[in-house]
Amino acid sequence: MIRFDNVTKTYKGSVTALSNISIDISKGEFVFVVGASGSGKTTLLKLLLREERIDSGQIWVAGREIDALSNWRVPYLRRNLGCVFQDFRLLPNKTVFENVAFALEVIGRPRQVISAQVPQVLDLVGLGQKSKRLPDELSGGEQQRVAIARAFVNRPLILLADEPTGNLDPTTSQGIMGLLDRINRTGTTVLMATHDASIVDMMRRRVIEIERGHVIRDQVRGIYGLDSSSSTTRGIPAVSAISAAADRLSTGTDALGPRHRKRAH
Amino acid sequence: MPISAGYVVRETASNLWRNRLMALAAILTVGVSLSLVGTALLLRQSVNSQLAALGDNVDLQIFMKPTAPLGDTNAIQTTARETSQIKRCNYLNHQQSYEQMVALFKSQPSIIKVLTPATTPPVFQCTLVHPKDASAVANLFNTQAGVYEVTFPAQSIRTLIALSNVLQVVLFTIAVVLLMSAVVLILMAIRMAIFARRREVAVMRLVGATAWFIRLPFMVEGLVQGLLGAVVAVGIVLLGDIGIRTLLHRFSEFQSAVVPGHDVIVTEILVVIVGMVVGVVGSAVAVRRFLTV
Repeated sequence: MIRFDNVTKTYKGSVTALSNISIDISKGEFVFVVGASGSGKTTLLKLLLREERIDSGQIWVAGREIDALSNWRVPYLRRNLGCVFQDFRLLPNKTVFENVAFALEVIGRPRQVISAQVPQVLDLVGLGQKSKRLPDELSGGEQQRVAIARAFVNRPLILLADEPTGNLDPTTSQGIMGLLDRINRTGTTVLMATHDASIVDMMRRRVIEIERGHVIRDQVRGIYGLDSSSSTTRGIPAVSAISAAADRLSTGTDALGPRHRKRAH
Repeated sequence: MPISAGYVVRETASNLWRNRLMALAAILTVGVSLSLVGTALLLRQSVNSQLAALGDNVDLQIFMKPTAPLGDTNAIQTTARETSQIKRCNYLNHQQSYEQMVALFKSQPSIIKVLTPATTPPVFQCTLVHPKDASAVANLFNTQAGVYEVTFPAQSIRTLIALSNVLQVVLFTIAVVLLMSAVVLILMAIRMAIFARRREVAVMRLVGATAWFIRLPFMVEGLVQGLLGAVVAVGIVLLGDIGIRTLLHRFSEFQSAVVPGHDVIVTEILVVIVGMVVGVVGSAVAVRRFLTV
């Protein structure tokens, strides 16, 4: 479904964001991309969307080499890629329904399709009752659910999530992960960049760790960090039920960093 | 991919309304500059139509009294032939003179109605060797028996042409400067609209809206601003044209200067096209420069 073949990306000013990366992700996988800020996680997602161009190598998405696509085909590539961000990116003057419908409207879907699919996906994310609310009237977790509904309403092959729980408390994050898990079970490949150790540890899915533009770990059913430097629960101030539970889950693994263990107690 | 007309109309209308002050400034600037363009074009046509009506080689017209005896007319003809400043003269009798009047005033039937061949003065239309001698030669004939009036139309037309040429240059220059500022104003209006809708644009790119789907409402917004400006200009030019017609009725000498309705329509169409071009150019530059798709 997604393949990086020796991909190198250097930004102007000779900052190497990714150097000679090779990754292969099959259809239906759930993959975490972890790493410190500036390690190249977001670059990875931007390359998939062709927001940025690569310097060398090849990227394949759904059987197409995306750097070879002509510009006018890029929108059609993006229709296969749903996107969720830390800051939700909802339109504040549109209702929940309109926000989700907008994604279909602007790719020219007929009105009947919109009025059939939007309520369906809102039910899926558990916001069927709040379709007439404005984003301001929703909690952060609910706003992220709207964003996920918008990303998923067109049934993309792949869902990209760039720190989707970065602005949410642990309990809410758990709910969002449950939702992403459900979406993954429909056969959608999910690629999630995150700093949230507790969530990675709880989910026990494939983990790809990037450091200074290199893949330093690619682990099936992995956890967040193997060494102390990368195991932080950034963005979550208090130790809550969920992170405690996550840590209990992974107590069996001696690989947990010391700093992380300290937090759990 | 089909782009629904309803979507474009809705987006354009809401953009224009949200940005209405800027849009108004752009529209009025287009309107004023295009009405100058229209006026200059009408002025040019009006002078041309004067020339066409009379012929630009008629330097001197000697009108006889309608009742002048044939002897007087013959005497004038002889004098004209003997005057060295006159190159040649063309004599129109009552009937011919009447026919020319009918041709000149065909746009004003009220005038033709009161004319008859009998009351229309016969006229000598003369070409001079040096057109600037017109007034001197006119004095020669003014005092002759049977002469009603001597006019020198070519000279006044030439003065008029010189005047109108200067006026046209001035009008066109101002119009071009204003049109450039109109393009910039539309560009800025579209830029502001793009900025106001940056969130929507970001989402549209993300979910895979095509480049033209994202651009089109902004392009149409510019086009509409140019078009509305042109409508303002068309109104001003039409009003001005009617005003000039009314004014000219008082000075019958210039009646042939009135531009026939047909030419006004051509001018207005030209004004509308220029307005659309201004709008499209302004928004195209803004879209290229400020909209990432």
